[in-house]
Amino acid sequence: MKEKVAITGLGVVSPCGLKKETFWANLKKEESFIEEIKRFDSKNYPSHIAGQVSQLDYYTHLSKRLTKKIDIFSHMALVSSEEAIVDSKMNLDDIDKERVGVFMGNALGGWLFAETELRDMYIEGRDGISPYMASAWFPAAPQGQITIYYGFKGYSKTTVSDKASSALALWYGAKTIKEKKNDYVLAGGMEAPITPYALLSANCRGDLSKNNSRPQEAYKPYDLYRDGLVLAEGSGTVVLESQNQARKRKAPIYGYIEGIGFSSDGYHYARYRPTPENLEYAIKECLKDAGWQKEDVDYICLDAESTEMGDYLETQALKNVFGEKIKNIALSAPKSMYGNLLGAQTALDLITTLFSMQNCIVLPTINYSMQDPYCDLDYTPNKSVEKEIDKALIISRGRGGINIVLAIEKAE
Amino acid sequence: MDLKEEVIKVIAETLEVGKEEVVDGKNLYESIGVDSTEMVEVCVALGKHFDTKIQASEVNKDSTPEDIVRIVKQKKENN
Repeated sequence: MKEKVAITGLGVVSPCGLKKETFWANLKKEESFIEEIKRFDSKNYPSHIAGQVSQLDYYTHLSKRLTKKIDIFSHMALVSSEEAIVDSKMNLDDIDKERVGVFMGNALGGWLFAETELRDMYIEGRDGISPYMASAWFPAAPQGQITIYYGFKGYSKTTVSDKASSALALWYGAKTIKEKKNDYVLAGGMEAPITPYALLSANCRGDLSKNNSRPQEAYKPYDLYRDGLVLAEGSGTVVLESQNQARKRKAPIYGYIEGIGFSSDGYHYARYRPTPENLEYAIKECLKDAGWQKEDVDYICLDAESTEMGDYLETQALKNVFGEKIKNIALSAPKSMYGNLLGAQTALDLITTLFSMQNCIVLPTINYSMQDPYCDLDYTPNKSVEKEIDKALIISRGRGGINIVLAIEKAE
Repeated sequence: MDLKEEVIKVIAETLEVGKEEVVDGKNLYESIGVDSTEMVEVCVALGKHFDTKIQASEVNKDSTPEDIVRIVKQKKENN
């Protein structure tokens, strides 16, 4: 029998709450947490709405000495990791830290720190830049900070693959548990795109909603009148370990990572191939890797790019893989409530899916009002529905066609 | 405030630690676990405060408050 990878701890920093209980309670309200950007004057940006994290300083366990040296994306990752560690009941004094790995994904790096320091350097010269700039901005900084903070020395990696970054981190971390390279893994992602330059870059993608006058209605995937996704910042971390170890130490088990499917579109550096066969392949590979039949799947947490092409391709891929059976599978995109965390999104999709399994609730895709004739599936519009979920898929797509699908099974 | 108190105050305020943590007779690594990037910030802060240039090769994590006072004094005399 193959070794199962158990998820035994959850940590969340999100626009709809820090701490997993608050996150879940707010999601059940079925309302939007998208607002106009408050951190800086962004009115001249085509899209200036986002899901933003508040009260990070209130909830943080970190010293000022540390927070002044790191970017907000590392700060959020450290806070979600602390929650996940405490939740998993890992005894840090009684584990081999050489066998604890950290796998975190993000797409953009830490720009809030970098932008201000580079500005100071150009204005004041070389004495104007903080020495911490060297270790604050780059995508691997949060993984490094987590390993330093806890003294973890196991096999670790940072993954960067646009919106699929944390999906890749979760799989990579799970693989090291399966291959017995690590006893524990902290896996997930963090993203901080609400900075002047990062927001400008993201706006240049051309797939952000410009519905600035109605922020709470802006993120409406699969709807005929959608006009793009809405950015969000935050972090999600989970603790992974083998099922045997988790049972032995009586850890809480939320679920299992059972399989993964990968594919690339091999078509364009930024756009998807305009036909769905590559995403279909990733879904089929995931089912095969998990050893599941199509009819085993109860729920699919959707990618929800909220563009005409992205939503159409995802819908078409699901129809082609599952055929008529797709009508028996619940589909939804709860991220429509708080925004899209880009490289950190799959970590929050995973945590949401685990809560949905525990509570037998399929959270809705909000803001859905008018059916697009090319996207005609039931995306659980606007209201949650009750449903037993034992097996779920999570779809994650990065720009240029990085397709990753995860298979998640509920704990016994 | 004597020179040593001034040096300790600059180090503590720069690194957001308590003044009492920067202990006489112990180097900065032993007393407050300072790392090399923090030392760059300390050198810049000391230089700005005492209106001189202090290099990372002169003051590092093996330096005690007394060592730093000696270097600041030398710099002031040479100025």
